[in-house]
Amino acid sequence: MKRGVLIILIPMLFACSEDESPDTQNDNFDRQSMLVNWADNIIIPSYKAYENSLIALQSAKNEFIANPNISSFSELRIKWEEAYLNWQKVSMFQIGMAEQITLRDFTNIYPCDKEEIEMAIVSGNYNLELPSSRDMQGFPALDYLLYGMAESENELLQKLSQTAYSNYLSELVERLLFLSQSVIDNWEGDYHDQFVENLGSDAGSSVNKMVNDYMFYYEKVLRAGKIGIPAGVFSSTSRSDLVEAPYRGDLSKALCLSALNASINFFHGRHYNSNEEGESLKSYLDYLSTVSETQSLSLSIANQFDLSKEKIEGLNADFALQIQTDNAAMLEAYDELQNNVVLMKVDMFQAMNIRVDYVDADGD
Amino acid sequence: MAKYLLFFGFFIALQSCSDDSDKPEPQPNISNPQFYIFERNGESSVDFSGQTTRILMAEELVSASKNFNSSESGLLEMYRNESVSGGDVDPFQDADLNASTKSIRSKVAASNDLFSSNSSESLEIKDFMESLFFQLEVEIYPNENQIAAPGQAGQLADGSSTRYVSPAGLEYDQLLNKSLIGALMVDQVLNNYLSPEVLDQNSNREDNSNKVLSDGKNHTQMEHFWDEAYGYLYGTSANSANPNASIGEDDNFLNKYIGRVDSDEDFVGIAHRIFEAFKLGRAAILANDYKLRDEQIAILRSEISNVIAIRAVHYMQQGKKALPADRNNYSAYGSAFHDLSEGYGFLYSLRFTRNADGEVLFSREEVDNLISKLLSDGSNGFWDVKTETLDEISESISSKFNFTLAQAAE
Repeated sequence: MKRGVLIILIPMLFACSEDESPDTQNDNFDRQSMLVNWADNIIIPSYKAYENSLIALQSAKNEFIANPNISSFSELRIKWEEAYLNWQKVSMFQIGMAEQITLRDFTNIYPCDKEEIEMAIVSGNYNLELPSSRDMQGFPALDYLLYGMAESENELLQKLSQTAYSNYLSELVERLLFLSQSVIDNWEGDYHDQFVENLGSDAGSSVNKMVNDYMFYYEKVLRAGKIGIPAGVFSSTSRSDLVEAPYRGDLSKALCLSALNASINFFHGRHYNSNEEGESLKSYLDYLSTVSETQSLSLSIANQFDLSKEKIEGLNADFALQIQTDNAAMLEAYDELQNNVVLMKVDMFQAMNIRVDYVDADGD
Repeated sequence: MAKYLLFFGFFIALQSCSDDSDKPEPQPNISNPQFYIFERNGESSVDFSGQTTRILMAEELVSASKNFNSSESGLLEMYRNESVSGGDVDPFQDADLNASTKSIRSKVAASNDLFSSNSSESLEIKDFMESLFFQLEVEIYPNENQIAAPGQAGQLADGSSTRYVSPAGLEYDQLLNKSLIGALMVDQVLNNYLSPEVLDQNSNREDNSNKVLSDGKNHTQMEHFWDEAYGYLYGTSANSANPNASIGEDDNFLNKYIGRVDSDEDFVGIAHRIFEAFKLGRAAILANDYKLRDEQIAILRSEISNVIAIRAVHYMQQGKKALPADRNNYSAYGSAFHDLSEGYGFLYSLRFTRNADGEVLFSREEVDNLISKLLSDGSNGFWDVKTETLDEISESISSKFNFTLAQAAE
């Protein structure tokens, strides 16, 4: 009954607004089914998988600290890698508690500040809750500890066996786990219902917020952060030092592909770790019968995702090496990713009558 | 002489190829060059090295204010370029600045038109800057590693940046930086060097008409005053004869924000109009056309004042937009406070603006009221600011100008 009133009200409100945007707000697409599909089949299972991989990392860390040797060290590195890959599948969901605690900024700001990290370890004087400590923690700081702070595996192992270092290692892992759990607790508490029941089409509604978060992630974190910035798109020279996981070296492509696949799967509404699809941005666009040039917009976007993926798959496993040897290929991958910014941020947003709620930062 | 005519003719020919829409009316007997290049006896007659020096001093001062190893006394020395007891000091990184006898303080709120017979307000403004150094030392630096909250100084995240705010949410380094744009640059430009009273003081007009040069210099006094105004905008430009090639990138003061406003599609062209007015005004002085000179002054007053007002409204509106939906989520205030702190400085700078006719647009009392309003929605300053307050402040500014709140907001 309540919803009936709402549907009558919305067209009236819109009649007073500008005529330029297409009047799709009174479409009858079942936004709630989409929200339920997102929450139950994608977001929460992805966070759970991420949490599980952090629990595995925690065990490996505890084992390493108890018995530091080549085997426990190698296991620790493997668990770090698995958790880092799983992180890429939740990074885009910076909504609810994740937004409130700025999960992404405390988890994966790179490059990390190795001088600050060394100072913190030596002095024992640091507070990882401070915003200024964001580049001293998370996966990038672990990358430095596990791969970067000494030349050889033996030296790394030796250094990490010292109490000051192993304490810091431990705190980094525990903090990642703590942050992820506070997000999951929130989803399993009140937030799930808040999320799926916040219908409507205002800027604060779940669909509008999630689509904006998705777009922001795709544009800034994936396209720019993983490819564009290191490839020098935004600077006068290329910056191979700004790739993700620079100390490990050969993981940047895998991390990028994990992120891109997660973006693709979200667009299609694919359930976590499955090919089953539910209501999604794609089905919403199809419902609206949005056409771009000659084919449906959803197909254009899906095809563009495939093209981007193909380009990235052709790159070196180590983006830094790729940039140093053949940056043109990086730039081509960037261009393909950029093409989807246009299709989504302009055409898809317009079709769904969603306003972009973020701006390019002032930069000062 | 024929050589010069040929030279200027070349520039006029170049000009005719460019876009016609913004081209100044053709001026008989005025040689308006394409770039800000004026020469006499085969050498440049343009000199604004003193302005370059002060911009660079202000850059170092603002940069030092963000450094947690700084102290009140160290910042005071940079601001005054002398010790607290008046002795010689070397507070700057740049040796040329240490060698200079100039200081920032001596030109803050020091214009002829506003402050020559208003020394109490001048002193109040000079001291306002110094009070910021004290507050940095007692509120910001000792709380570097605190998380800010209402009534608690400390740090806040703003995107990937970290901001350091006072107990009321104020970023003092931003207040300092943006207030200097008004109190130093705009005041010196609009209320001093472009003041007809200053340009024409003593026998300046007669000397200029007869091209009597200042002792040992290659310029008349009037030409030099005009160039000094120019230098406060373009004194650190990559190419100061053609400064719009890099407008916005050459300092963190007026140049930067002319660039910012010009990059807004609602105001595109403002950088061009400002530069053209400076250039044509200088050419008019060379040609003894004082009416034309004063027409350029009117344009500069209006456009430079626009830059300050547009940014003031802009930051009030950006701050409003960035306030967190959940007002109890204290960690989410970083972006809003950064915007509002910049906005505070631009509000402070409104005092130094004037319209085309030369009327001063904001009295001390009006500016103080705007700032007090910004801070008085609750007991914790920015933490309590209401969106309606930000709209009211924005409207009371934009209503005095020919732009709308909406144009300035984005």
